[in-house]
Amino acid sequence: MDPRKADRIATAAFWIVGVIALGILAFIVIEIFARGLIAAVNPSFFAGKPQALKEGGGVGPMVVSTLYLVALTMLISLPVSVGAAIYLAEFAREGRFTRFIRFCLDSLGTVPSIVFAIFGMTMFLFYLNWRTCLLAGAITMALLNLPVFLRSAEEALRQVPRTYREASMSLGATRWTTVKKVVLPSAMPGIITGTILPLGRIMGESAVVIFTVGVFVRAVPLSPFDPAAPLAGYIWYVQSEAIVPDYRSIVNGGAAILLILLFAINFGTRRLAAYYSKRKSLGG
Amino acid sequence: MAREKPVRMLLMTCASLSFLAILLIFLFIFKESIPAITRIGIPNLFSAAWNPDKGQFGMLAFLVGTLLSTAGGLLIGAPLGIGTAVFLDQVAPARMGNLIRRGVELLAGIPSVVIGWFGLIILVPFIAGITNSAGYGIAAASIVLAVMVLPTITALAAETLGSLPPELKEASVAMGATRWQTIRKVLLPAGREGILVAVVLGMGRAIGETMAVQMVVGNSSQFTLNPFQPTGTLTSNLVTNMGEAVGNFRAALFAQALVLLILSMVLILCIRLITRRKEG
Repeated sequence: MDPRKADRIATAAFWIVGVIALGILAFIVIEIFARGLIAAVNPSFFAGKPQALKEGGGVGPMVVSTLYLVALTMLISLPVSVGAAIYLAEFAREGRFTRFIRFCLDSLGTVPSIVFAIFGMTMFLFYLNWRTCLLAGAITMALLNLPVFLRSAEEALRQVPRTYREASMSLGATRWTTVKKVVLPSAMPGIITGTILPLGRIMGESAVVIFTVGVFVRAVPLSPFDPAAPLAGYIWYVQSEAIVPDYRSIVNGGAAILLILLFAINFGTRRLAAYYSKRKSLGG
Repeated sequence: MAREKPVRMLLMTCASLSFLAILLIFLFIFKESIPAITRIGIPNLFSAAWNPDKGQFGMLAFLVGTLLSTAGGLLIGAPLGIGTAVFLDQVAPARMGNLIRRGVELLAGIPSVVIGWFGLIILVPFIAGITNSAGYGIAAASIVLAVMVLPTITALAAETLGSLPPELKEASVAMGATRWQTIRKVLLPAGREGILVAVVLGMGRAIGETMAVQMVVGNSSQFTLNPFQPTGTLTSNLVTNMGEAVGNFRAALFAQALVLLILSMVLILCIRLITRRKEG
C-alpha cells in the first residue's frame, strides 16, 4: 500500500480510538447525571435518614460515613506514605534493602482489593474481635493505598532540585532539617496532587467497606469504632439485596453523589496544589 | 547528628510496613486456607463441582470465569488503551491530548460499583436484547473490565511513549518515514517493554476487579465457555459468599483468595522478567 495512504488511514483510526475513549467517559458521566442528579441534590435524599424496608429513604449517614472514612484513612495514610517516601528518596542508599522494599510495594500494589478486604476482616473481626467499624476499614484502606500514594510522594520529592538540598546542607543543616524545611515545602504541590488517586480510591472502594466497615446504618457514626456505611458499599448493598422498592433511584442518586464528590476532590486538590506552588514562587 | 537517628528509624519503619503488610496478608490468607487443603484436598478444590451444601468446593468454574473475563477485557481494552496512548502522545493536537489525559484520569477514579451499576442497567439489557440470553456472563464482564483497564493501560503506555528519546522520532521522520511508519516501526518497538508492563498491570486490575464484575457476571457456579451464560469469577464468588460461609465452606473461599493472591504475584514476577530483559 502507498505509505501516505496508509498514514492517512492510520491517523483516522487513531482519531476514532481517541474519540471512543473520550466517548466512553462522556457517556458514563452524562448517563449518571441524567439518572441521578435530581435525586442527588435533593436535601431529603443526600441528608435524609435511610430506610431499611420502605421507600423514600435518604443517604445522609452514608455520605457522612464516606467523608469520615476518607478523613480517617488519610490521617493514617498521609504520614506513613510520605514518611516511607522520604526514607526511600532522601535517606536510604539504593541497595538490597530498598530493592526489597520496592518489590514488596509492587506486590502490595497488585493484591486485589477483595483480598485486602478479606485480610482486614480476618485480622480485625476474627483475631482482634472488633465489630465492623470505620477504623478497621481505614487501616485496611491505608495499606491498600500505600504503594500508589508512596510512589507519587516519592516522585514529588525527587523532583526537588538537588541544589536546594546542597545549599541547605552547606549552611550546616542536618538531613532531617533539610527535608523538613526545604525539600518537603518544595514538594508540597506534587504531594497534594498525588492525593487525588488515593482519595478517589478510598471514596469509591466497596469491597473493603463491605467486609470491614459495614453496609447499613441508621445513625451518623461518631467514634472511629462505630460501624458505618460508606456510600459505595451501601449502593452495592441496596442493589444486591433490592429490598426497598425504590432501590434503583437510590443507586442512581448515590452514584451521582459519588461522581460529584470525585469532581470536588479533583478540583479541590488541584486548587490547593496551585495555591502552594504560587506561595512558593512568591517566596512565602 | 545524634537527633537524626530516631527520625531515620521512624521513617525506615514506615517503609518497612509494606513488607509487614504483604507478609501478614499472605500468612492470614494461607493459614485460613490450610483446612481447605487438608480436609478438602487440592484435587477437589480445583474440580468443576461447586455445591457447598453437598460439600463440593471445586473452584474451576470461577477460575475459568476469571481467566476468560480477564482475557476478554484485555482483548478489547489493550488495543483501545494503547491506541489512545499513541493518539494522545503522537497524533492529537495538544488541547485534545490534554482533554483525553484528564478524561482518562477521571475514568480511573469512577468507583467500580458505579461502573458495575452502569453495566447492570444498560449493558446487560443490551446484550440480552441482541443475543436472546439473560445478558449476564463473561461477555458483559469483559466489556466492563475493558472500561476499567483502559485508564491503567492508557496512562502507563502514554508515559512510556512520552519518555522515549525524541531523537528516535526525529531520525525516522528525517529519513522520510510517515507518522504511521514511525509509530509502527520505531516508537512501538522501542517502547515494547513499557507497553507490555502496562498490559500486565491492566491484567492485574482485571483479575482483581470485584464489584463491577460481580454485578454483571450472573453469579452462578455453572462451568461454561459460553460468554452469554451466567457464571462466576473468583472475586465475585468471594464477595457473594464470604459473609455467611463457615467451616469448610469458608476455608474453601480462603483458598480461592489464596489463588487470587498467587495469580497477582505471578504477574509481578512477569513484570520483573520483562523489565530485567530490557536492562540486561
